[in-house]
Amino acid sequence: MGRSMLDEVRKVAAGWRWTRRPLVPRSAEPWLPDPAAREFPTAWARTPTAKAVREGILRFAFRPLVWSETEPTVEGRDVLDSLRPPVIFVANHASHVDTPLFLCSLPPAWRRKTAVAAAADYFFDVWWRAAATALAFNTFPIERTGRKRATVTARRLIGEGWNLLVFPEGTRSKDGWLGRWRHGAARLALEYRLPVVPAVIRGTYAAMPRGRSWPIKGRLPVTVRFGTALTPEDGEDFRSLSRRMQQALARLWDEDASSWYASLRRETDARTPSLAGPDGAQWRRRWEASRPLSRRGPARVWR
Amino acid sequence: MTRPGFVLEVDERTPPLLVHEGEGFRLQKFPLGTQVIYPPDSLPAIRDVTGAIRHALLHPLDSEPLPDLLKPGMRLTIAFDDISLPLPPMQTPDIRGRIIEQVLELAARRGVDDVKLLVANSLHRRMTAAEIKRAVGERVFRSFWPGDLTNHDAEDPGGMASIGQTDRGEDVEINRRAAQSDLLVYVNINLVAMDGGHKSVPVGLGSYKSLRHHHTVHTMLNSRSFMDPSHSALHESCVRMGHVLADAGVRIFTIESTLNNETFPKPFGFMNKREWEWSLADQATYLGARRANDKAPPRIRREVFQRIASPYGVTGIHAGATDAVHERTLANVHRQQLVEVDGQADVLVVGLPYICPYNVNSIMNPILVQCLGLGYFFNLYRNKPVVRPGGAMILFHPVPWEFHQVHHPSYVDFFDEVLSETNDPAQIESKFEQQYAADPWYIHLYRNSYAYHGVHPFYMWYWGAHAMDYLGDVIFVGADRRAVRRMGFRTAANFADALEMAGETVGRSPRITYLHAPPLAMAEVR
Repeated sequence: MGRSMLDEVRKVAAGWRWTRRPLVPRSAEPWLPDPAAREFPTAWARTPTAKAVREGILRFAFRPLVWSETEPTVEGRDVLDSLRPPVIFVANHASHVDTPLFLCSLPPAWRRKTAVAAAADYFFDVWWRAAATALAFNTFPIERTGRKRATVTARRLIGEGWNLLVFPEGTRSKDGWLGRWRHGAARLALEYRLPVVPAVIRGTYAAMPRGRSWPIKGRLPVTVRFGTALTPEDGEDFRSLSRRMQQALARLWDEDASSWYASLRRETDARTPSLAGPDGAQWRRRWEASRPLSRRGPARVWR
Repeated sequence: MTRPGFVLEVDERTPPLLVHEGEGFRLQKFPLGTQVIYPPDSLPAIRDVTGAIRHALLHPLDSEPLPDLLKPGMRLTIAFDDISLPLPPMQTPDIRGRIIEQVLELAARRGVDDVKLLVANSLHRRMTAAEIKRAVGERVFRSFWPGDLTNHDAEDPGGMASIGQTDRGEDVEINRRAAQSDLLVYVNINLVAMDGGHKSVPVGLGSYKSLRHHHTVHTMLNSRSFMDPSHSALHESCVRMGHVLADAGVRIFTIESTLNNETFPKPFGFMNKREWEWSLADQATYLGARRANDKAPPRIRREVFQRIASPYGVTGIHAGATDAVHERTLANVHRQQLVEVDGQADVLVVGLPYICPYNVNSIMNPILVQCLGLGYFFNLYRNKPVVRPGGAMILFHPVPWEFHQVHHPSYVDFFDEVLSETNDPAQIESKFEQQYAADPWYIHLYRNSYAYHGVHPFYMWYWGAHAMDYLGDVIFVGADRRAVRRMGFRTAANFADALEMAGETVGRSPRITYLHAPPLAMAEVR
């Protein structure tokens, strides 16, 4: 190993980030290889051994972590009692904490049978990230391009009886409010006549927004609230089902922020607050979204 | 769908890029803003090659099916491209052998007894028995070698037939056996757009008497470029000769094949990839290969490189009348190699690999380096050159002062005697060509040894005539100074120095374009 070899290693290293997403020259970005051609295999993550390891990771690592760094409340799990897998869970998405929080909020039997759709271009671009998320959360790659084959793996999993957790926004919210809605979940639900269980996740934008890798200090309250399953109706198109999903999430959000009955009343009067957030300057939307949830129950005596 | 080629603009995210330099390679950092021409990804190969060949022979273009052309008692000659194609040689089975086998299968069934096979080596060196066997396959070789499977001999007084003259007075002379056959089947591999078409028979089976009309400085200067047959004086001449052959009743059944861009096998597979897409394994392989290559003695290094056999896939096989077939062939070649480039550069940078058509199992001497760089690489364009008139060209290659004494004897003398007197192609042509072309010793070596014809180094020099006439500066990086100076070019120790030197010609802020090849790319310059 002389100096020349060291120089060569440096040259090779100059172009790549070995532990993070590889650098791509800007002008080459439109010409990246077809994602389907390099899809990361995840079948191994659904073997009995991987399932056992995942249950251990979620139960003994993520649950204590999330429950110690935030103050979660889980409501409405009883809706699952009348359902049988497979179903599609749809939820809003604002933070990396959403996935472990949601999975740990599920009853263990449901959790063990749930796979999570994850952006192929983000979670599956480097092997170590792909392997880690596939093992810990049972993720599978889904293309955000919306092309036909974007949901090939999802279809296979439904066929094998897996529940899917889909964040239809396709990415974490930039300002805490609901972003652009994609119709992949609605299309799948219609195609396979699957029940869709809406679940709203509140407080995670305030607890750990984009750009943070650890929750904010102070155990901020977060909520997961499950809603009644939506069943695709005969002749319904995906846009209509998507709309119903969004309305269900908005009502659940309202229910979580006020009360069940008040939210139903407002829904009947078409006065449910929109999940798109308040109008106005960007900072004001962020300001509102990052306001921590008020704590439930009696005030804590010991701090 | 295969990704098309594209032009990269080097930014701060761009890693150092792979550059070939003879029997070696390096990672080279390019200045921000440099344009890099990447070839399209390798096209998918035909899965059922045997079926595709059969289909081509039974459903030819503008011709009766091959079986209908085969009759008992006829004279059948099968000619095929020599060792200059493809580059690097392809992994066996070679597509030529596969095609020839099926042609012979049909001929056997139709009761054809008089069959001869000819290597269309023109004025190139003869192929050895082992090389021929590798190209045509063991079955064909065992059936026909040596009596009925031979190299073409352009200097055999009794073996050539004068067919006539074109309307421009160009002599057409080809192999007598081929000319007097009832059917001449030509099997080609079309690696670049220059190959094939009417160039196959009049050149591949031609003689100096014929070639001297189009292998000239004049045709080279009037070919823009010789890689674009529709704008090439060289090809126009070949087409005229092809028509003379047709008018004289020489019946040619052309079979052309095209290959994809799977140029390098494992462990050199990283050379086929775009650098930012290298995996960890690719990076490790690069480091290992680079280290091993640097440490290896030159002979071992050459041996390793010359043993590279490309895992090429076949992208098309067409048969029938030459014009119709070649049109399809060119479309396939362009589909695999063409890249649109906006505007011309001030400086064209190329990395020259270890191989060119004339040093397979041999040594790439300085004249061949010049031919590969200023001939082939410079001319890999359509419409207009990648570099502007008066621009500079920077080439990576060590240009060792080294010659293969058996293969390239006339090159040695050309380098010593001719280039020491002048580098001007026109002057060289008028003053020295005849002397070398008619030299009995070179003719003897061409016919009986494995030497290129005496006139061959001249053609190699003419190949670069367009670039020499067009460019303002030619700089070799990391090259043997004496060898490069002998050819009239300049040398730089490293790329930074080369750019500095080029700055004298093209200014201090030149627009730089790097042609990232091989795998081969051809620029369509707008």
